[in-house]
Amino acid sequence: MAQHEKSSTLRVQEKWLQCNGRQLRKLSKAGLIWLEKNHQYVNSLNVFPVPDGDTGTNMLLTMRSAVESIPEDDHIRVDEVAAQLSRGALMGARGNSGVILSQIWRGLAKGLAHKETFNAYELAEAFQQASETAYNGVMRPVEGTILTVIREGAAEAADAAQKSQDLRFVMERVIERCQQALERTPDLLPILKQAGVVDSGGQGLVYIFEGMLRYVKGQMRELDRLAVQQANVTLAERSAQELAAPDDGEIENPYDVQFILMGEDLDVVEVRRQIDAMGDSTVVVGDEKTIKVHIHVKNPGEPLSYGIGLGLITDVVVENMQLQMEEIIQTPVQNNNQNGLNPVTVQPGQIGVVAVAAGDGLSDVFRSLGAANIVSGGQTNNPSTEEIFQAIQDVPTDKVIVLPNNKNIFLAAEAARDLSEKEVAVVPTRTAPEGFCALLSLNPNGDLTKMASGMHEAAQQISTGEITRATRSVEIEGVSVNEGEYIGLVDGRLSASGQEIEKVLVQMLENMDMDAREIITIYYGIDVAEQEAGTIAAQIEDLYPDVEVELLSGGQPHYYYILGAE
Amino acid sequence: MAIQIVTDSACDVPPEFAEKLNIQVVPVYINIGDQSYLDGVELTRRDFFTNLPNYAKLPTTAAPASGSFSAVYQQLIAEGATEILSIHIAANLSNTYNAARLGAEDIEGAGVTLWDTKQITMGAGLQVIEAAEAAAAGATMPELLALLKERREKTHIYAVLDTLEFLRRSGRVNWAQFGFGTLLRIKPVLEVHEGEVFQKERVRTFKRALKRLIELVDAAHPVKRIAVLHANNLQTAEELQEQAAYLFPPDQEVVFMEITPAIGAHIGPGAVGFAFISK
Repeated sequence: MAQHEKSSTLRVQEKWLQCNGRQLRKLSKAGLIWLEKNHQYVNSLNVFPVPDGDTGTNMLLTMRSAVESIPEDDHIRVDEVAAQLSRGALMGARGNSGVILSQIWRGLAKGLAHKETFNAYELAEAFQQASETAYNGVMRPVEGTILTVIREGAAEAADAAQKSQDLRFVMERVIERCQQALERTPDLLPILKQAGVVDSGGQGLVYIFEGMLRYVKGQMRELDRLAVQQANVTLAERSAQELAAPDDGEIENPYDVQFILMGEDLDVVEVRRQIDAMGDSTVVVGDEKTIKVHIHVKNPGEPLSYGIGLGLITDVVVENMQLQMEEIIQTPVQNNNQNGLNPVTVQPGQIGVVAVAAGDGLSDVFRSLGAANIVSGGQTNNPSTEEIFQAIQDVPTDKVIVLPNNKNIFLAAEAARDLSEKEVAVVPTRTAPEGFCALLSLNPNGDLTKMASGMHEAAQQISTGEITRATRSVEIEGVSVNEGEYIGLVDGRLSASGQEIEKVLVQMLENMDMDAREIITIYYGIDVAEQEAGTIAAQIEDLYPDVEVELLSGGQPHYYYILGAE
Repeated sequence: MAIQIVTDSACDVPPEFAEKLNIQVVPVYINIGDQSYLDGVELTRRDFFTNLPNYAKLPTTAAPASGSFSAVYQQLIAEGATEILSIHIAANLSNTYNAARLGAEDIEGAGVTLWDTKQITMGAGLQVIEAAEAAAAGATMPELLALLKERREKTHIYAVLDTLEFLRRSGRVNWAQFGFGTLLRIKPVLEVHEGEVFQKERVRTFKRALKRLIELVDAAHPVKRIAVLHANNLQTAEELQEQAAYLFPPDQEVVFMEITPAIGAHIGPGAVGFAFISK
């Protein structure tokens, strides 16, 4: 091995003054290999401009197309290699970062035109061209991206070439500076800082340059043997080939673990700290409800157990990088969104909604539909004016709509509205389903008065049925009720009563104009078991086969069932 | 010689129109895992949508390489084109326009003019067809650009999605801002206009959403051109068209288009809608 090393790499002690075409080709291969090894990590950093996690893949496909177009000719000139790199990248470029990468090679090729070899000055000049061409490659250049990295790298190349003509020295300095520029990308681009990552495209470029430097330093001994030119070999197979002959021993943390953690009040900083202690290449991004985790570890069970301890984990991917076994555990696309409540952020100037709700399930539905704030309360537990007022004040906007969702709360809501200096409207929703219906039609950017009347109108389209128990014996509109019996109310009016809950429910539905309904949503209360509610839902489906039935836990007290028919 | 029209596959110009009007279509890439496919060339729409729910990772899309555009432009020039109008999907939603712009920079010998439709799928495709017909009739480049400017303002897409799952995972919309509830089943009605994607309405049932779609097109009536779009849901698309038949210009053939995976990957199977240019 050691002998092979000497024969195939540049000797460390000698100054390297001229780079020839063959060497440039090897440098590019080394860059490709190092990117290939690290592209999944680059994918995981991808939050800008669109967090779709394919920056690494797109850069890799671009780089591969670039390198594969260089002919295997030992007497090739530098300008030919650069021209082929540029052409190959242009033909293979995909994605934003791929396009910019192709522009970097294009600029480099311009700088190296008509040269058989290049020296440090010429490299610096070519870097400058690469930087300028990259900036031209995007319509609106953004700092804190791959552009910043190449620009600073180019500036460093010019500096370093003044100090020494040794290409190895220049490369070391350029890569160090690129690395520093990369680390500063979160300071320049707030979305990166927010997500706790560096720019993915910048990281991809740093990997390419690092790969080149590793080759120069003799850390990539097996370069000549690697089958980089096999266009049809899949990535997984390719990586396996490389990994079969690892350049510097075994991977310390062979498992690449990724998952999404969902929970309540998650502390991103703390999760990041804990996860980071388990391995390397940590990426932990998200908010208090959803966190994306990426880490390379020895023991994949460790981060997974940690995640399970905090909430629900989905989209689990574990890859053994040593064997490159793909996705041992994975969750299919459909099965990961059961409990996904998404945080609602109201911007100042938009309309924020305050909803009154009794029960966790009903509160969650309001939140998931975009309510900015929930006041707990209902039939027998009316919230105070003060509580509603406070909830209005806490919404970070001056335009607020209140959904009382109970007749008994109208007055308190109106009093809270009058107390607030904000622009507030109360939409008189009488039940939670009316509130949902109103909230569905919300456009947060609309005019407050118009939106309030639109929401009121929308609320009329739903009919609400409620099942509770009579607190006293009474006879209303021909329906007589004994204390303790189940009663069914349709839009607040007594419409059914009896000893058996199912019979009352069926009788109540007959008064809800079911022929004209398309969907009925059943919210079962805190006193009803899920299984029992499931049986009732199935019964309703049988009775009204043309109506969609949806069952949710409302968690409300006093009302066994609340039904919204629309 | 007539101005040559070039477009990308995400504009969804139906093949029969592309052929009849001599429109060159450059395919975009669909990335599935670590594999990359050319839209419509290496991956059919039928195959894509059939497999979409089973892909372990959500497919993503990438613009064609700028080199692909240069190659197409050069080929057309070699065949005698003197002016090229390259029409693409919204520049703020895709890199395709930029790739075409970079590809055009390398071209000598003929002018390449670019047009940002600020639309996707057939919202862009209908603009391409309008331009190609006018070009065939002898319109000059300034005339074509004036026409496109007028048409673009009047182009809308209204569509209903059957599932929110794909949009959520795509990361292409600000979920919180859209206020998509995940607890109640919701069918969102989306609008695409002038480069923006809006959530027009949130409706509880697909049936009601279809009714709203027709009402929305009706409100923009009369239309100059209209097409029915779908993602692996031709049956519903046909039913929708039947109900909305009175809105279709009687002198035009009805166009159904299965949308490009480049968009389909983000909205999932089942979606249906209309793309139209109002008069």
